[in-house]
Amino acid sequence: MAMGNPVSLVRCNPDKSELTGSVAKALELIGFNTKKKVNTAIIKPNLNYYWEAATGCTTDPLLVGAIIDYLREKFGRDLNIKVAEADASAMRTKHVFPMLGYDKLAEEKQVELLNLSEDVLRKEKVSVSGRNIEFEVPQSLLDVDLFVNVPKLKIMRVTKITCAMKNIFGCIGKPRKFAYHPILEEAIVGINKVLKPHLTIVDGLVGLGRSPVKLDLLMASVDVFSIDWVVARIVGYNPRRVKFLKIAMREKIGNPNGISTCGEDVEPFKRRFPGESFLSQKFVWDVQFKILRLYKRISGDVIPPFLEEE
Amino acid sequence: MIKVAIAGLGRQGMLHLMNCNHIDDVQVVAAADLSRKARTKAKSFGVENLYEEYDKMIRSSRDLDAVILSVPNFLHLPCIELALEAGLDVFTEKPLANTVRECQQIVSLVRKSGRKLMIGHNCRFYEFSEKMKRELDNGSLGNLEVVTAEEVINGPFAHPYVPSPVSEWWFDPKKAGGGVLLDIGYHMIDLFRFFAGDAKVLYSFLGHRFGLPIEDTAIVLLQSHSTNVKGIINVGWYERTIFPRFNFRVILHGNAGYLASHDLVPKNLYSYAAKVGIKNVVRRVIGRKIAPLKYTYFYESYYKELEHFFNCIETDAEPSVSAEDGLKTIEIVESVYQASEKVNGNGKPS
Repeated sequence: MAMGNPVSLVRCNPDKSELTGSVAKALELIGFNTKKKVNTAIIKPNLNYYWEAATGCTTDPLLVGAIIDYLREKFGRDLNIKVAEADASAMRTKHVFPMLGYDKLAEEKQVELLNLSEDVLRKEKVSVSGRNIEFEVPQSLLDVDLFVNVPKLKIMRVTKITCAMKNIFGCIGKPRKFAYHPILEEAIVGINKVLKPHLTIVDGLVGLGRSPVKLDLLMASVDVFSIDWVVARIVGYNPRRVKFLKIAMREKIGNPNGISTCGEDVEPFKRRFPGESFLSQKFVWDVQFKILRLYKRISGDVIPPFLEEE
Repeated sequence: MIKVAIAGLGRQGMLHLMNCNHIDDVQVVAAADLSRKARTKAKSFGVENLYEEYDKMIRSSRDLDAVILSVPNFLHLPCIELALEAGLDVFTEKPLANTVRECQQIVSLVRKSGRKLMIGHNCRFYEFSEKMKRELDNGSLGNLEVVTAEEVINGPFAHPYVPSPVSEWWFDPKKAGGGVLLDIGYHMIDLFRFFAGDAKVLYSFLGHRFGLPIEDTAIVLLQSHSTNVKGIINVGWYERTIFPRFNFRVILHGNAGYLASHDLVPKNLYSYAAKVGIKNVVRRVIGRKIAPLKYTYFYESYYKELEHFFNCIETDAEPSVSAEDGLKTIEIVESVYQASEKVNGNGKPS
């Protein structure tokens, strides 16, 4: 079983001119270096919906721009860089790129935008907790020399945290990822068995708890599990109680022993993060819908389709 | 019994279908939508005649009295034309149509047909709008000086509970006809007209933060023709809002007082919903009619507007929102687009 990896935390100024330096510092702290020749790189931000970075929901294009600058500095101006995202149940990549400023970024930095759902998709079957799960995996992510995962630091009602490993789930080519939701935790672990980014840089410029918060934080590691373990602590959850991390440990794709942090301390970020009780969050939603459905049955009243589960 | 057909079974059309089932002497006998899933759902609500195409539904349905149109903006004119030709009364979602020219055609068609047409200007049917109008007409605010109307939400990008993609027509400026000004601004302009009468545009700004060919931000300053009342309209599609949070308010500023919608909306929508819900359960138990959607406060307006439309058919009265209202509102919207086009080329696509 792989031992945990160092995770760097860097307090950064979200100013465009200083971000590249912060990225370099975060990677220097974890001793990131790759001996192999890097000709191609794919950066996968988290663009799960049409909400701007300041809402805490999506990766800031400024950070992706800084990472592009860093990679070119390190691997040469000829490095072929693509910024990639896949369609999601409610989001279409062809719209989200222009709406969130990625079209402009691509033009400015001369990089290509890639819709992973339109890539060559390879069927992969993996077993998680004794369950076989099939994925359509974009070939480009398997072939690329350097796969950089750039998730957002945020909480989610279903999985408690959504960061490095969940952003890899977002790479699945099939748009209707909602179909995996009954087995979401297993699916997150499953896709992380197939797709292994070489590097993860977390956008914690604005984090999302019960509300967005300016954290001015960058995190980096070569291990998605280690990142998520530390992120769980920042957002106020015990990582040992995050179901997909527990499954990941059982499936031997992560090990909390040996995870170390470097750079800034976790505590100041943890104190600033507007956490949310998972129980109350889940409870409120579930109970709300149960009451609503019961009320509908008894009274015959209408539930607006917008609020309906089915 | 008024026999009704519904064209378009998206979320709004489906809501109309469910609401119709609560209105006395109204029966939805036909519905049309390209989605099989939507048609199957409509069947579960007792709709017997289901079609893929709205035109086939209108042409082949017999004994229809009225049609509810909940189709994309660009289909309003052809749908209304077909329905009026078939001798049906029409309830259509807003906007009446995408352009002044189309609206004028509709107004003319309605006049010729002698049928009723009502537009879903549901904001007029909010409980607070009705109360504000009453107070204004009673004179308790004195002379009205300024109306502030603002709504900043996600618009078509609002994330539903079960994720589903935003309809493609919203991204096509020719089909959508415009952006937030036509979508939400239309309602706010209509509210201004509701309180202060017809207006002209003094100033306007359209923003394109999302880089779409349609605007996602609009700020408009209006002035009423007859009373010089000013209107400040501020609408946007950029806010991540999840119901029951609702960034919407109207303020009437008079020289003897003011009224603000946020003072009239229940402070806690959850406890309000609980109270109204219990009342409805009691009504149901003792065999009385419930007040549909009242527990949501805001969504009740969709029920009330339909109830009003069917009342007008039954009593042969004119609906409170006419085709002319739609035309006047679109005239203002279009003048903003034209002004913006002149200034920076960011107006409505031709």
